[in-house]
Amino acid sequence: MSDNTSLLTISGLNLWYGETHALKNISMEIQDKKVTALIGPSGCGKSTLIRCFNRMNDLVNGCRIDGTVRFHETEIYADGADPAELRRKIGMVFQKPNPFPKSIYENIAYGPRIHGINDRAKLDGIVETSLKKAALWDEVKDRLHHSAMGLSGGQQQRLCIARTIAVEPEVILMDEPCSALDPIATAKIESLIEELKKQYCVIIVTHNMQQAARVSDYTGFMYMGDLAEFGETVQIFENPKNELTENYITGRFG
Amino acid sequence: MPGMSQHTARIPELTRVRLKEMAIKTIWFLCAIFAIITIFFILAFLIGNAYPAFQEIGIWNFLTGTSWTPANVNPEYGIYPLIVGTLLVTLGAMIIAVPLSIGCAVYISEIASPRIKSLIKPAIELLSGIPSVVFGFFGLIILTNWLRILFDIPTGESWLAGSIILAIMALPTIISISEDAISSVPQEYREGSLALGATRWQTISRVTTPAALSGITAAIILGIGRAIGETMAVLMVAGNAAIIPDPIWNVLSPVRTLTATLGIEMGEVSTTSLHYNALFGIAVVLLVIALVVNILATVVLARLRTSATPSAKTCEGSKNGFRSYLTPVEDLVLPNVSYILIVLAAIAAFIVAGLVATIVVVAILLGIQVLHRQVSPRWMQRIAFSLIGIAVAIVLFSLAVILYDIIANGLPYLTWDFLTEAPSNLGRSGGIFPAIVGTLYLVAGAILIALPIGIGAAIYLTEYTLEGRMTKIIRAGADLLNGTPSIVFGLFGFAFLVLFLNFGVSLIAGQVTLALMILPTIIRTTEESLKTVPQSLREGSFALGATKWQTIRRVVLPPAMPGIITGTILSIGRAAGETAPIMFTAVVFSSRFLPQSLFDPVMALPYHLFILSTNIPGASGAKYGTALVLLLLVVGIYAIAIAVRSHYHRKLRW
Repeated sequence: MSDNTSLLTISGLNLWYGETHALKNISMEIQDKKVTALIGPSGCGKSTLIRCFNRMNDLVNGCRIDGTVRFHETEIYADGADPAELRRKIGMVFQKPNPFPKSIYENIAYGPRIHGINDRAKLDGIVETSLKKAALWDEVKDRLHHSAMGLSGGQQQRLCIARTIAVEPEVILMDEPCSALDPIATAKIESLIEELKKQYCVIIVTHNMQQAARVSDYTGFMYMGDLAEFGETVQIFENPKNELTENYITGRFG
Repeated sequence: MPGMSQHTARIPELTRVRLKEMAIKTIWFLCAIFAIITIFFILAFLIGNAYPAFQEIGIWNFLTGTSWTPANVNPEYGIYPLIVGTLLVTLGAMIIAVPLSIGCAVYISEIASPRIKSLIKPAIELLSGIPSVVFGFFGLIILTNWLRILFDIPTGESWLAGSIILAIMALPTIISISEDAISSVPQEYREGSLALGATRWQTISRVTTPAALSGITAAIILGIGRAIGETMAVLMVAGNAAIIPDPIWNVLSPVRTLTATLGIEMGEVSTTSLHYNALFGIAVVLLVIALVVNILATVVLARLRTSATPSAKTCEGSKNGFRSYLTPVEDLVLPNVSYILIVLAAIAAFIVAGLVATIVVVAILLGIQVLHRQVSPRWMQRIAFSLIGIAVAIVLFSLAVILYDIIANGLPYLTWDFLTEAPSNLGRSGGIFPAIVGTLYLVAGAILIALPIGIGAAIYLTEYTLEGRMTKIIRAGADLLNGTPSIVFGLFGFAFLVLFLNFGVSLIAGQVTLALMILPTIIRTTEESLKTVPQSLREGSFALGATKWQTIRRVVLPPAMPGIITGTILSIGRAAGETAPIMFTAVVFSSRFLPQSLFDPVMALPYHLFILSTNIPGASGAKYGTALVLLLLVVGIYAIAIAVRSHYHRKLRW
């Protein structure tokens, strides 16, 4: 799979939480403008892996990382690499919607503002485009200055996606973005992901195998800290090479 | 028939159980009634004794009169200079303490590594255990001297000295509560901001701190309350001239606060004079200020509670933490229009002080904002973190200086003889044995009185009554007394126990006064611990057929015990370190003998230190020795409380 569109290159990645060896020698390449899904049973390390890509694991005490993660041609764990700069280019949407306790407008404007955009007209534009891209504009355009806490769970999650888009990242990481949502809200997020991959590289962690099958181009199956199998989604679901993968997707464990 | 005999045997058994339940309920009910009557009796007694002064002087003249000269032939009782003095000292203290505290709180919750956090947090909590007379002693011996030399003035006893000492004393309160508030901001907010490429400082300044703002505001308000209520430390360093500084910003001018006036004049007042009633008038003004502080903090925290967040559960912990500081007072209705006037005047004065403090903070924030535009985020973070580092360094440095001074100078005097002998030559030589014993007697008595009543009342209020208007009023009364300056209890004990009940200056009068002072704290902390036990546990026990008392004893009390024990130990520490409540009720400066009965006066460590440092020249060694013993005693008690709490914290999780 190593063609010239690969955006993230992970090789020999190991991660420990204290004594626990949570990621074991992971190597993979992630393509731009595609959706890559990570699936696997609870505790297999898929969320931990995705949090390596924008260095969110730096926030976890006792976390130790070894190996390389290259974004374009730069090593993201190199000495002197600025995590804030990295996270600006690799955005993240979390499992539970986490809007700030601010207005809808301010939630979106937050990112551009911290990156130095203070011009009101420009911000207005960014807010509108981002909300439109996140398919939320029509629902909230009349109450932009109301608290984001008043939105439904699904709307909050789309707001978080809009907030991520507003800083114009190249990669969007999604850590089980639908696990706290109802089926209708989930369907909306899934069709949004279809749209997003035209512009962005999307990596999604999901518990839901059907979801991975529906939305992704590539799928990685993780098991107990190992990347057991990684390939095109069609191949993984129809013709898995690893026995563990087959057992998992046919529902024999999980 | 076997069935029959079993049946008859069960009836007396049932009656016995029911009787026992009734008896236990009655005991708790009596405790509650006693506590309630006491609380409201104290309030009524203070207001009743102040009434003649308000009537004769007139409330308006009393509050706005510019001269306080009770000792003159034609005495004047205008407390305006005292109110101004109180506000100025508090304002100065807040200008120093607020930036330092917020810096420290941000450092502890957001920047420090877990190891450093686990060292600094208890250190700051211990700082809150240092008795005020020890701060006053340090201020008088060291700080005023420094100020005198630095500014080349005749004496360093001044507004500035008072503000610095009060600032150090208010630090732990503001830091702990702000840190609680910042730490309880859901982790998702931080992750959300960092994931957008914000720097740590951008996240702290634009997301975390704003989200914790109401908690921080409440912390500042409670810090103001602590500063206004402080007596001994201010009395020892602020110079106590009842004048308004001229010009008003002259920080080197001496000032006198409301509390210091009570501390100075209570002992020498004739009970039949208007002066006596005027002092009660001051106590009522202090009560009103405590009330205002309480209401403001409650309103702010109520906002915190209603602003729903996606992770309401994360905030649950902080709510519990906050509730132990206060609860609503909305149902407290003051009887007389004149009192409403005082409330309004106090609120006005308070708002002025608050406004100035807000302006300072806003100015600093705006300055930061302007810098934000000019400087790159990474440099901004460096600048901000350096400023925070400086704040932490200043706080730790002040703590270190105070502790070092007292330990280094006191340690050589800490001999066996010093601990076991009676003082001689006005305390310059000999030991402090009677003072140690006196303090232990006072504290033991206070706890023996307050503990059963306080815990009983709390059990009755939380477990046997439904939340209603009555419990709210009781809680409001307890909270009001909780925030009342300790000198007001001293005044009550002196007027009611020593004079009216004719106990004289005696051990029992001191014990009861201290007991009254800690009773509200014990009630409230016990209530809070009981409330943290989930209702589902009680229901589970009732569903198995347990009685009320069985449920309380076996299901509710065990998990609530650590909280109750911690509260009690903290109360013991507070009682051991307090000077103001005992100085006119129980203590004498010098006594070669231990008390023979409850009606003998005693010596006590805090008062001994107070007199040694203010009235006895040339007792340097004995002063430091006494300060060190007092410090070790009280800080030791606090350390036990902190250890108990963290021990159970690790064991208990819902």
